[in-house]
Amino acid sequence: MADQAADPPASLQVFRYLAGDDTVRAVIGEVEAGLPLEDLVAHATEALKSERFMCFAVSQSGGFVADELCFVPQGDRCDILSIRTNGWQRHHGDHRRSLVEILNNMAAAVACGKLRILDETEVVQDARAGTQLLHFVIDDSASLTAAREAVDVVLQESDVDDLTRQRTILCISEAVTNMLLHGGGQGSMTLRRLDDRLRVVVADDGPGMNFLNWIGPPTKKGQASMGYGFQIILDYLDAVGLRTGRTGTTLLLDRKTD
Amino acid sequence: MLRTTIAPGPAPTVFLAGEMDLDCADTLREAVAEAARGAQTVVLDFADVKFIDSSGTGIFVRLSLDMKSQGTPLVARNLSPAVKGVFDMLRVRDLVGDEVFPD
Repeated sequence: MADQAADPPASLQVFRYLAGDDTVRAVIGEVEAGLPLEDLVAHATEALKSERFMCFAVSQSGGFVADELCFVPQGDRCDILSIRTNGWQRHHGDHRRSLVEILNNMAAAVACGKLRILDETEVVQDARAGTQLLHFVIDDSASLTAAREAVDVVLQESDVDDLTRQRTILCISEAVTNMLLHGGGQGSMTLRRLDDRLRVVVADDGPGMNFLNWIGPPTKKGQASMGYGFQIILDYLDAVGLRTGRTGTTLLLDRKTD
Repeated sequence: MLRTTIAPGPAPTVFLAGEMDLDCADTLREAVAEAARGAQTVVLDFADVKFIDSSGTGIFVRLSLDMKSQGTPLVARNLSPAVKGVFDMLRVRDLVGDEVFPD
């Protein structure tokens, strides 16, 4: 078992390789010294050539922990997801999901195209696409309720069936709740209409996604996250975009309307 | 906002109404604590819960496990469609035990 006091926490990092380049760049996290860049480029090139998702388990000393490297080819680029478990929080022994399961589900969502990891340029462009319908500053549960109710009205006017409408509202609530609990406590929710979809942009200026927050001890709100919020979002929406870093997190939640 | 009404009795019932999200913990815990005084079990009636998310569900799960360990288990009744959908999705029955859902 890893020394939890000394080892770095479990984490998800995402690197991006563009066809023809000789290196990778970080989209989530940082390119740290000692990262085997040549190996990453070689595997990314192989994934692009074969047009196949590839995943490797990298053994660590002690035999128990393992890092996982997933290569996801996407046209002329390959996203590389690095999941570091370090033996942390593999199981909680209670009702909460394991952090490793959460991270693996995220990797799978990227692999199947449901989740897009966005860089700074992409998120600016995609968060401004279409026409703005609603915008809320959210800093407490009351403003979350107001935002939910306002989006509900728009969805009812958009020929969305009841189940889809309820699930979309649920997803917005999950995203905004994550922002309130883990994203610095405040941010914004914007609803936009694009040609074939509604897009909800949930943005904060917090410290970026710290996945340990998702499985931390109970907060003053009296509960610990069950770790299901992001999975609900991935299960119920048509497409999700994510940008996270030290200057904040932005989630794009897409629900098709045609 | 979550609202609660307590119907006292040998098996007191806490009627829940409104929304169960990240802010419902105090309201729910206080109502259950009041209802549980001298009781062997506490019934939660979800018929008028219009919305619940994973935070509200987590609060219910945590409270249910706590009450079971304290010897005053919760029973959940009349799940509204909104609640049933989320509880089924999150497999809440597996987390808290079948006995919590006698219906």
